[in-house]
Amino acid sequence: MTIAVVALAGVFLATYLLLYKLGYIPGLACGTGDCEVVQSSRWAMFLGFPVALWGVLFYAAMFLVASAGSFGALAESLAVGRLLTVISGGGVSFSGWLTYLELAEIHAICRYCVVSAVLVLGLFALSLRDYRLHAAEQGAMGTE
Amino acid sequence: MGKAARQAKGKKQSNAKPFIGIIIVVTVIGAAALGYALTRSSATATTVDANIPAGPAEGYLIGKADAPVQVSEFADYECPACGVFATLTEPDVRTRLVETGTVAYRFYDFPLPMHKNTWAASNAAACASDQGKFWEMHDLLFATQDRWNGEATSNPRKPLTELARQLGLDLKTWESCFDSKKHYGRIKGNQAEAERRMVQQTPTFIIGNKMLAGSLSFDQFKAWVDSALKSAPKADTKPAEAARKGAEK
Repeated sequence: MTIAVVALAGVFLATYLLLYKLGYIPGLACGTGDCEVVQSSRWAMFLGFPVALWGVLFYAAMFLVASAGSFGALAESLAVGRLLTVISGGGVSFSGWLTYLELAEIHAICRYCVVSAVLVLGLFALSLRDYRLHAAEQGAMGTE
Repeated sequence: MGKAARQAKGKKQSNAKPFIGIIIVVTVIGAAALGYALTRSSATATTVDANIPAGPAEGYLIGKADAPVQVSEFADYECPACGVFATLTEPDVRTRLVETGTVAYRFYDFPLPMHKNTWAASNAAACASDQGKFWEMHDLLFATQDRWNGEATSNPRKPLTELARQLGLDLKTWESCFDSKKHYGRIKGNQAEAERRMVQQTPTFIIGNKMLAGSLSFDQFKAWVDSALKSAPKADTKPAEAARKGAEK
């Protein structure tokens, strides 16, 4: 449940950045100009689409899978936990790469990207913890 | 099914109501925040004094100078939102409002300090203006931001020269103008004009006597033009132009 809520918050954060990138929001409430520097850099695009769009898709996928895995038949499925761990693991790698680019190439830090990196890391930690608990729980039930 | 499994399943089902409640709360807060961010540009329209005399600023004009609605845009060539406006909204503004004689449109450079190559871009446009191709260069600069901006290169002269070549400008003259930086005074004047008018972000538009921050869709732009048409036509930049002409003499 916590994973779904955190992912939903991420959907809105990434949508905000996407709307800025597409020009629907005039300026980021950043405090400094670094957000705009990062968002206007050439690394703000990935495979022809804004990085923020990939963020929206990532968080939306996490939200949908986590919500589906919270109730009903999928609630007991280990596959859901495994899928969440894999998706969020990919998110951590991508986020780590973006943070590296901010520090080493762009030389500017966007605080929304930092918040997103923290969210992604949190999602990965939660997914891994849930998966392990679930696996242990099912192992215990198997030996009951 | 074992006892532990039944307990786990029961626990998950009992969590459904608070889960949905939390999701609704997060959705409402998120949607409200996005809604606020999206509508902020039109909500920040402020009334400005149309009679403020201008400094040595000199905007680039398109349309009839005495059109009933005077529009000024303050923009930075490296700003993404300015690029979106220039490529998506501005073509419609030109064909449906400028070419029909409703709007006189003036572009003022407002180079922001965090953009490394924006001065070079303004300079490139000013030099293209000398050969009567300001608006062509303006459009090309916004359409190719990622080729010459501060993140793409630390030496913008080369990609900007390529744009000048693409427009068919006399390259020798353009390069001589670009290198001499003779238009920096005009760019600085336009920047000072933006600061004097308390422009906070780019793009910012003054439509009639309303100042609007942020990119606008054509419908939004047209609504403000219609509003200006009803209230105070011919009120905005005429004093600015008069002051400029006075300063030139």
